[in-house]
Amino acid sequence: MDCDRFRVTIEAELAGQVASLTGCEDFRRLEDGRATPGEYDAFIESLASAHLRSPQLLAFLYALAPPVAADHLRHNLLEELGLDEESGRPHPDLLVDLLVGAGLAHRLPVVQGEADADLRRIVTDPLLYGTLRAIGLAALIEIVAFEYMLSRVAGRLARALATHRALPPPALAWFTHHSEVDVRHAEEGLTALAAYVDYYAVGPEDALAIAETTLRENVFARRYFRHFVVARSAR
Amino acid sequence: MKLVAATLYALRIPLVEPFDHSAARRRCADSVVVRVRDETGTEGFGEGAPRPHVTGETVEAMLDHLAHELWPRLAERDVPGADTLDALAAFVPDVPLPGAVAANASRAALELAVLDCALRRAVRPASALLPPCRGAVTYSGVVPAGSVARAARHARQMRAVGLRHVKVKVGGDVAVQRVGAVREALGPDVSLRLDANGGWTFARAVEVLDALAPLGIAAVEQPLPRGPVEELARLRRATPVPVMADESLVTPADAEALIGAGAVDFFNVRVSKCGGLSRAFAIGRRAAAAGVGVQVGSQVGETAILSAAGRHLAAALPEVAFVEGSFGTLLLAEDVSVESVRFGHRGEAPLLIGHGLGIQVVESRLRARAVTVRELSGTR
Repeated sequence: MDCDRFRVTIEAELAGQVASLTGCEDFRRLEDGRATPGEYDAFIESLASAHLRSPQLLAFLYALAPPVAADHLRHNLLEELGLDEESGRPHPDLLVDLLVGAGLAHRLPVVQGEADADLRRIVTDPLLYGTLRAIGLAALIEIVAFEYMLSRVAGRLARALATHRALPPPALAWFTHHSEVDVRHAEEGLTALAAYVDYYAVGPEDALAIAETTLRENVFARRYFRHFVVARSAR
Repeated sequence: MKLVAATLYALRIPLVEPFDHSAARRRCADSVVVRVRDETGTEGFGEGAPRPHVTGETVEAMLDHLAHELWPRLAERDVPGADTLDALAAFVPDVPLPGAVAANASRAALELAVLDCALRRAVRPASALLPPCRGAVTYSGVVPAGSVARAARHARQMRAVGLRHVKVKVGGDVAVQRVGAVREALGPDVSLRLDANGGWTFARAVEVLDALAPLGIAAVEQPLPRGPVEELARLRRATPVPVMADESLVTPADAEALIGAGAVDFFNVRVSKCGGLSRAFAIGRRAAAAGVGVQVGSQVGETAILSAAGRHLAAALPEVAFVEGSFGTLLLAEDVSVESVRFGHRGEAPLLIGHGLGIQVVESRLRARAVTVRELSGTR
């Protein structure tokens, strides 16, 4: 399998994951207004927690970036930090705006604690792979997966929260931003993935296996619906 | 110190992906966790995994057995000191459950909770009772039942993680093709085992094992249903593949019968199935003394509690051929401990050196993931 085929395979895998997310009961309940107020709040908190520490993860990936993908990852990082010319406010601040706009400002310490715990877990859990090359690839796949998903779903999520949770536009700036910029990010991310595999000479079969392991579950549903996934399983 | 309270949590934790074998299809973990508390407020956590096709226990039967038979015999009684495993194990009674092979998952859950509580009160690690024979434990991967393509996909993932031992769940019509695909994906250096979960007839077992033996099979687990040990002994003579007992090995009496008949090459010893750490350890040592190899097995979807117990058992037994478990969040949507017990690259995992079973259980996660919670008072 060459790098182009790897890219095509990954893109198909990501498309399947997005379809799985938008087809899952929890997502549909959010979108059609059947979710309870508590479920909307849990979703907002989970999403904020999932992305609050994205700058740190992007900084890690920037450190490992192959030369041809370094500009893309640096740009992403600066944008995330609000240091890019066009990007405006840091993205973590937009997530705080989301929480405040949803009346969940009092939950910010809890959300920050969860985000910190997730980051700590990444560092302290036993490493599944034996090389930094493989670990970096797994991390890059997950970041690209979220960019790919947000470029297709962020707008729908924002509309759902505006319609059924009555959130005003300023609170939804994080979604608006991601729906606009992640179309480009997702494309560049897939290119960066192929470049990474090529530059670090990851065997195509190994690259595919790492991708399959990283995406063996729906990473989006796990992050966004973790607080009420048990309720679904019990139904 | 007296035990004054207990809580039972019937968990339902979604699995990351369904796990199938010839006897069951699992989408959720369905363990029962027991929390005991003594009069100083020290707590201990234990876990059992009821399996109707193994010990004959269901979740409901286990909850009732714990609440009405086992806990009343311990409530308001002084827990022995954390000096010997046998003394703590003897504190937990063995009460038959009508219709079951043995109420071992129930007993294991309570024994582990008592052990954890006693060790924490004494500020001692489990290694004080089960001194380790090795400094780390190496786990196997398990390929669940399913299509040939899915088996190959799992095998590729296991190769990427560097696992050195892999077990394949078999039983369907495409066993030979599936195992062939797994062997091809893993290469020749990874040791490969099979698990039929009792799904074959004698003739089918001979046929499949003859076909697969050239692929280099380290063992076949429970090829025939639980039944007369002489059938396993006959199969052992009829196949070049070493035979392992799992569902046929639930009680110490089973172990003696299997040894007496020369029925198997390996025992699969599991903490929940065998009724607790003490009995599992005793069966493992008995096997070693009889020249029977030992696999420390696990329960699909077990939480960090049973995985921790299995880690201690695998570290303490003098000879261990294979170890399973500690999948953690590779299989569970969320585990219940602060620290991850999941194995890492090459399936390797360190010993757990903290007090008690060596993990910190997050009670709020148990409560969030429980479909039933029962509070038991200290009154007998």
